[in-house]
Amino acid sequence: MSTMKTTRDVKGVGVSIPRPDGPEKVTGRVQYVADIPAKGLLHAKLLRSPHAHAKIVSIDTSAAKALPGVRAVLTAKDIPHLKKKAPTRAHAVLAIDRVVFMGQPVAAVAADEPSIAEEALDLIKVQYQVLAPSVDPLKSMLPGAAPVADAGTEADTSEALAHSAVAIAKSETPAKAVNISQQARLQRGDPAKGFAESDHVLEKTYRVPMVHQGYLEPHAVLAEWDRNGLLTLWASTQGSFNTRSEVADVLGIPENRIRVIPVECGGGFGGKIRALCEPITAVLAQVTKRPVRYVMTRREELQAGMPAPQVIIKLKTGVKRDGTLMALDAETVIDSGAFSGAVLAVSAVFLGSMYKWPSFDIRGFEVLTHKPSVAAYRAPVAPQTIFAIESHMEQIARDLDLDSVEFRMRHLIEPGDPMVNGQPWQSNGAKQVLSRIAEHPHWKSRKQWVAAAGKNGKRRGVGLALGGWLGGLQPTGATVRLNPDGSLAVLTGQVDIAGTNISLAQIAASAYGVDTDLVRITTGDTDVAPMTGLSAGSKTIYTVGAAVLQAAEDARRQTFEIAAAELEASVHDLELVDGKVTVRGMPDKGITLATIGKKGNLYMSKTPPVLGKANPAFTQQAPGFAAQLARLEVDPDTGEVTIQDFVIVQDVGKAINPLGVEGQMQGGAVQSLGIALTEGLMFDDSGRLTNPSLLDYRKLTAADLPNLETIIVEVPAPAGPFGARGVGEPPIIPAPAAIANAIQNATGARLTELPMSPERIALALVNGKQ
Amino acid sequence: MAKQILSCTVNGEPVEVLVQPYVTLLDALREDMGLTGPKEGCGTGDCGACTVHVDGRVVASCLMLAMQARGRKIRTIEGLASADSTLHPLQEAFVRHGVPQCGFCIPGVLMAAAALLEGNPRPSEEEIRYGIAGNLCRCTGYTKMVTAISEAAGTLASQRSAR
Repeated sequence: MSTMKTTRDVKGVGVSIPRPDGPEKVTGRVQYVADIPAKGLLHAKLLRSPHAHAKIVSIDTSAAKALPGVRAVLTAKDIPHLKKKAPTRAHAVLAIDRVVFMGQPVAAVAADEPSIAEEALDLIKVQYQVLAPSVDPLKSMLPGAAPVADAGTEADTSEALAHSAVAIAKSETPAKAVNISQQARLQRGDPAKGFAESDHVLEKTYRVPMVHQGYLEPHAVLAEWDRNGLLTLWASTQGSFNTRSEVADVLGIPENRIRVIPVECGGGFGGKIRALCEPITAVLAQVTKRPVRYVMTRREELQAGMPAPQVIIKLKTGVKRDGTLMALDAETVIDSGAFSGAVLAVSAVFLGSMYKWPSFDIRGFEVLTHKPSVAAYRAPVAPQTIFAIESHMEQIARDLDLDSVEFRMRHLIEPGDPMVNGQPWQSNGAKQVLSRIAEHPHWKSRKQWVAAAGKNGKRRGVGLALGGWLGGLQPTGATVRLNPDGSLAVLTGQVDIAGTNISLAQIAASAYGVDTDLVRITTGDTDVAPMTGLSAGSKTIYTVGAAVLQAAEDARRQTFEIAAAELEASVHDLELVDGKVTVRGMPDKGITLATIGKKGNLYMSKTPPVLGKANPAFTQQAPGFAAQLARLEVDPDTGEVTIQDFVIVQDVGKAINPLGVEGQMQGGAVQSLGIALTEGLMFDDSGRLTNPSLLDYRKLTAADLPNLETIIVEVPAPAGPFGARGVGEPPIIPAPAAIANAIQNATGARLTELPMSPERIALALVNGKQ
Repeated sequence: MAKQILSCTVNGEPVEVLVQPYVTLLDALREDMGLTGPKEGCGTGDCGACTVHVDGRVVASCLMLAMQARGRKIRTIEGLASADSTLHPLQEAFVRHGVPQCGFCIPGVLMAAAALLEGNPRPSEEEIRYGIAGNLCRCTGYTKMVTAISEAAGTLASQRSAR
């Protein structure tokens, strides 16, 4: 069934409609996990390892257990039924005899008050034998490094599959490099020959530290068991069905014994996909037979959350004097922390796939270190990878005195071109967004603007970069019900974080043929909703939107069949206008949706209730591209950067709700600017995080930024609902490179390590142009 | 430790509650008064999600002891809309401009913005940006927030001149 449809003549897709739960959000009435009242509630706290790598010699919990108000104190010994080996972070409920990152949970307490639980933690005595940690991924990947995983642990690629489904050939691990957990190698042509024939060879190493997703609501969960052994979890999650599966697997209980209620999620950005604190909270609730809530502190989030990986990329390129691409040699090293799970494939594939390299040798390594294990962060590893590519492309253009947009445009992929793994690029708007941003007055006037720098001694620069994301896929379901008053009830399991439910309502409205005001979307829990995937991978609108569209079409078909029988007409002669199904050309011969809806709910009625459903799976990705431009000033004395203007151009296929699309573009860009300028989890040689607070882990504030200009480009995605493609991830990708390129334009210095802090910029200016 | 009596005014109503002397104003509001609009995003005064007004001034309620609020006037996000639950112009503008995404920072941002406009009825864009600089938002990129605050300032000004 084709999902490409023109909008019916209703208030539906393409219109900016504020989300209907806005008033609840601005009055403080929306409940997050920490806000839910519960009778007999206990509060959980975790004792965490102060060492990055150590043997646990002994744990004495007797004093903690004796503290009044303490209801349970657990260590790994108390939960022997849970799996011994820990293949994923979620399975490492409590450390067994070794800790592998600082902040790893060692013991758990449930108490009447948070303050009592905290006091109990102080009374637990743990004896450690400190071991040498592997902290630097480049050292950790060498033979002889201190091993992170227990022998026999396997690579975890489930996140990569959920996010962007890129296939790569796996290659063998070299002997005794115990901490290399995943590898990829992609080759084509003869790079050695390509380099030999090149006029210009450029080699640089780009470094991006671990960064935290920075959602404002820390991880939180409320767990309660009933007397029949049914576990209910009120969770802050990006995917309730995924949370259910992971918790069931860790606890070793059937999925139908668990109900996950997705509570309003205070931000996730990839960090709330995988289970983290849910299993231990469930165990505490089981042991105490009381509801137990666990809310992570911000310090715990930064020390022991699941941040984005550190990425180190070496690029060597060979090109002809006229800019003809000849050869690429690339290596990406992704530091996954203490457990495997990074999306190595995306980085390896993107390195060679955005521009048409005739020959390449790309190597990718996921490396384990004694640091917190990583998870997705909005277009996982794409901002890091594109930072390398787009910095490098700009440098080549500059070295060869080529126009940086023309140079990119000449080599940029088009739909149908092969990626480095052989898969063809699907329909995308890469060229359209690049040419659109090149038309922007800020780009056209860049030389004049830079030359007009003020008398304050600051230097001006303009830079741009392009970035893309392949887009995730996941099967999903939706139902559309006609209510007795003619309104529509849509049910999915989709967690609405950013306001996607209003867009789904608009899709249902346009597909069925009523105004959006008549559609209400409900996010059901795992007991009632159709199986629905993650709110991740830029795929909510692309996949769940498609399911809603198909379910609404199904409901429309059923509605017309009922109307046809009632009106004694053919369904082909019917139309739906203003809530009434009529015979075309005979506006008096009709039946209202309310009448049809009522008939489906009448005692002794022979009319079935209208229940449209769809449960599609997907095969065709819809890549999304964004281009971003920065005009900025650099203070050469302090290295401080002030962004004066920032433009985001993005291909969204079809903007279902332009208001929401703009919000995604702006929010993603600011996270990207944070990665570029200020953010980074900084670990010392012992594996200790040195900046575990929001004072020292610096996110951008309103005062750091200008208004962000958004330009929406619509290149329809062939399989997207009304042509829509994913929106969430592309805007977080290009900014680090755009900023680096603008800084070079301003100062001549090429920054290759993030964040581009004032210190790094000032040093680069002092030490000469890199 | 023995609990103490905290007497203060919260959202225009006199309140008396028993609180532990060591709890923060944020915890007292959330746990003892059932006002869960103010959020804890960090507990160290760095994120602004817990922002309330104490005697009209912006306070990070996670950094103030509850007993320090004795005899003072507290206003939380629950007290921003008028008694008949008509949204404050700031709230109305936030909804219309589609500002809230995850929404966790929004109560704190609105309280900071309300205090800003009470002290400076027609702020410049820069003054708005500095006025909410103590409030971290991870979803919106702030642009729509600044637009909404600026527009609400205009609405409030015209309401004042109409009176």
